[in-house]
Amino acid sequence: MPEWPRRLSEEIRQHLDDEYDALRARGLSHDETMRRLAGDLDELASMRTRRIESAALDLRYAARTLRKNLGFTVVVMLTLALGIGATTAVFTVVDGVLLRPYAYRDMNRIVTLMETTRRGQIMSVAWQNFQDWRAQNEAFEHLGLYRGMVLNLTGGEQPERIIGSLASSDVFKALGLDAIAGRAFTPQEDDPGAPRVAIVSERLWRSHFGGEPSAIGRTIALNDEPYTIVGVMPAGMRFPSRTTDVWLPLGLFVRTFPPDRGAHPGLFAVAKLKPGTSVERASADMDAIARRIEQQHPMSNADHTVAVTPYADQIVQNVRPALVALACAVAFVLLIVCANLANLMLARADGRLRELAIRQALGASRWRIVQQLLTEAVLVAIGGGALGALLAWWAVAAFVASRPATIPRIDQIAVDGRVLVFTAIVSIATGVAFGLAPALRATSIDLLASLRDAARGSHGGGRRLRAMLVVGEIALALVLLVGAGLTVRSFAALAALDLGFDPSRVVTMRVSLPNARYPEVARWVAFHRDVAARVAAIPGVDAVGLNSATPLEGGGSESEVRYEGQPPPRSASEEATTCLFQAATPDYFRAMGIGFVRGRAFTERDDAAAAPIAIVEEALARKFFPGADPIGKRIAFEFTGGHNAAARPVWREIVGVVRHVRHYALVREPDNLEVYVPLEQLPIWFLDRRPTMTLFVRTPLEPPQLVASIRRVVSSIDPQIPVFGVLTMAGYVGQATEQPRLNMALLGAFGAVALVIATVGIYGVLSYLVGRRTQEIGIRLALGATRGDVLRLIVGHGMALAFAGIAIGLGGAWAITRLLGALLYGVSPHDPATFAAIAALVAAVAFAASYLPGRRATRVDPIIALRAE
Amino acid sequence: MQHIASRVLDRELKKGSAELLVLSLVEDQPRHGYDLSKLIESRSGGVLTFRVASLYPLLYRLEKRGWIQGRWIEKAGQRRRRYYRLTAAGAQVLASQRSTWKEFVEAINRIAGVEHA
Repeated sequence: MPEWPRRLSEEIRQHLDDEYDALRARGLSHDETMRRLAGDLDELASMRTRRIESAALDLRYAARTLRKNLGFTVVVMLTLALGIGATTAVFTVVDGVLLRPYAYRDMNRIVTLMETTRRGQIMSVAWQNFQDWRAQNEAFEHLGLYRGMVLNLTGGEQPERIIGSLASSDVFKALGLDAIAGRAFTPQEDDPGAPRVAIVSERLWRSHFGGEPSAIGRTIALNDEPYTIVGVMPAGMRFPSRTTDVWLPLGLFVRTFPPDRGAHPGLFAVAKLKPGTSVERASADMDAIARRIEQQHPMSNADHTVAVTPYADQIVQNVRPALVALACAVAFVLLIVCANLANLMLARADGRLRELAIRQALGASRWRIVQQLLTEAVLVAIGGGALGALLAWWAVAAFVASRPATIPRIDQIAVDGRVLVFTAIVSIATGVAFGLAPALRATSIDLLASLRDAARGSHGGGRRLRAMLVVGEIALALVLLVGAGLTVRSFAALAALDLGFDPSRVVTMRVSLPNARYPEVARWVAFHRDVAARVAAIPGVDAVGLNSATPLEGGGSESEVRYEGQPPPRSASEEATTCLFQAATPDYFRAMGIGFVRGRAFTERDDAAAAPIAIVEEALARKFFPGADPIGKRIAFEFTGGHNAAARPVWREIVGVVRHVRHYALVREPDNLEVYVPLEQLPIWFLDRRPTMTLFVRTPLEPPQLVASIRRVVSSIDPQIPVFGVLTMAGYVGQATEQPRLNMALLGAFGAVALVIATVGIYGVLSYLVGRRTQEIGIRLALGATRGDVLRLIVGHGMALAFAGIAIGLGGAWAITRLLGALLYGVSPHDPATFAAIAALVAAVAFAASYLPGRRATRVDPIIALRAE
Repeated sequence: MQHIASRVLDRELKKGSAELLVLSLVEDQPRHGYDLSKLIESRSGGVLTFRVASLYPLLYRLEKRGWIQGRWIEKAGQRRRRYYRLTAAGAQVLASQRSTWKEFVEAINRIAGVEHA
């Protein structure tokens, strides 16, 4: 519009001049005249803003309308805040865990490799197999090897325990991360005789070396041995775990790997696929290699293959089902919110029909009015969205602060710009979603007809639309509630599980002795025996035990186990029985409250000089000695001379039988048979690779108080040994039940919100109906209908909506709860009891929501109702 | 009708009727803006007034739609003024707006009549 401002200003200037002349001609003073013109001038000054005229006008008009109906606006905004807040919070978590990109280069080409049997049993990688993989594979650009470890970092004021990893040079190449100072490992450092060098994390570099470049070349003491720092990895390097602080070269450890293909010494592989190579092709490639190795080494590799897993999937595999379920749940909540608000807007639009009809009559186009109503809806939605973002920020902060241990990348979860953009989009979309239908409907009606009807009330179409919305709300709420009900049942089943031990009042902590400092087994054992004895002497301690494994924590080692006289395997592929072996002190069973089925616990006399003994769990006793007394029978899980026909078993006599202890997880615990041996008769597997021992203390004392005393005790024996990993057994149980508890709490909360909103929906529609049908009710009453008839009429209407919603919801729930399968324990996704209970609950709530308006209808005075016309 | 704020109604009436008023006033003879504003004020007995800031943009819009056409007219001893006259299209719109308005007023009256009976 190049011409109009100039032309317009000329016309307007003339107009004002004319007006000035006219006023002066009537005898007004200059000042008085200017005062009269001031209004015009003010308006002209604001004309610039008026050019975006309609939008700004709509906005102002909308704001005024909303202010005028403050109660309505507040209710709508709070409902929205709830819906959008929940959506934002869940999106924040989903974004942080699933969507946000990783620091690694070409994440979609990074895979991890494990050995498995064809039956799915998972193993770490045998060193000899890895070398064959590397020589023969055609799928990978880089193939690296790593193993997590715990290290004692000394030299500071207090000894510290840090998480470390051995890593071959290809690990860094596969991940594609460059050092921010110094360098990554070189291929030479993968070979035996590598120098004592270390790469540290950015975190350790900043906390211990102030982020100084001069840290490169300095030495740190790890497990009492000096290492020269050659590189610093950026914070984005979170491999193998996000807490890894130091990486040591593979070459330093190669000589300690067992020379035997049957041994799986805790090593895992990570690789980068060649460009264009799919995971499936890599799997096929590795499977072919595994088959070749199997042919050459049938004793050790029978039935073995390789699992190739995208690294990104591996990080999130445990939480993905829960997050997907939550995302669905929260989408449902938002849909219910939209349906409910659409309903409210429809009811209100009816009240405004005349206003809208008049505006239309006066020349406002249909689109103008739709625009106006949409502006109102979107404005409220943005307000609700802002409140919702606050709510989400608070909820996410609380969630992160609760330090859920099972959520990967928890430290990256925060409400940030990305999330706020999402919230803004959701808010606007929500506003359009709940504003559009009412706006279109309000403008689609014949205006003259509507003016005639306005006094009488609603239109069939509107009523039908509102009824459909309520039915939809009830159906969605029911689906959500069934999901929530199932997670509650699942959690109850979990809580009732027999753990095999008594977790109450047990505090645990760890001590890790470096091999270099305690090379002789006898001194190593003596240290732990000393700790146990001195901690037992602390006042208030009831029992103290040490064990090489921690229940529910999932670490530990397994080995093949046999009984004396067991027939040799019929074929090489026959699956051997394996056991989880643990070395414990005599009081471990008492400290943990592990029940004995038969026999006795260890005693002080079961030392290295005594005959080798073991305590086994009842399932192992049943399997090996069905119907016979296992006490006095002999088993072996240690073998000297390698995994071949010449292997010689180390026989141990069974002296006791105990209950099964949940070790790997609360649910879906893999079959594992537990065997305990006295610490003093350390399994030969532990001679070279000593376990980190866990101390179990049964005491009514509070953990902080106890830990201080124990630190003093340990320090009095050896001041270089840190005590770490303090956690009560109840804490381990809490971690193991964390996800089911979160699922239950969140789905339960969403279900409750959904039910409340849907209830308000039913109540609102019926109240409205009663209001609109007052006259009809009056006539019915005047014609002799009883109050009961009227109550039945209204409640019947409400229940008809409810039952339609329940029927649709049950069908939907039946179809959709299958997705929850992975999250449920001990309850079927189609559990009839849950379905029935939730249907009954929704029906009961719907009845209550219908009864109140129904009661009000019965109080209609026929005379007044008729006069209302 | 109590629930409709009278201010809103007032504004809507004015906004919707403004086009009708302007088109009617230029039906017989071309007029310039100041003339139009004075005529509206005087003929409505002061009930209706148009502010400068809304009148001229309205004229601009009507011209843009092709309902009126403006021309700068020079007169001796005076500033040039822009005179607007009704176009053929504008005449059709005016006819239809007149009948809509009539229907509307009748409808309002009918309802008002029913309600007061």
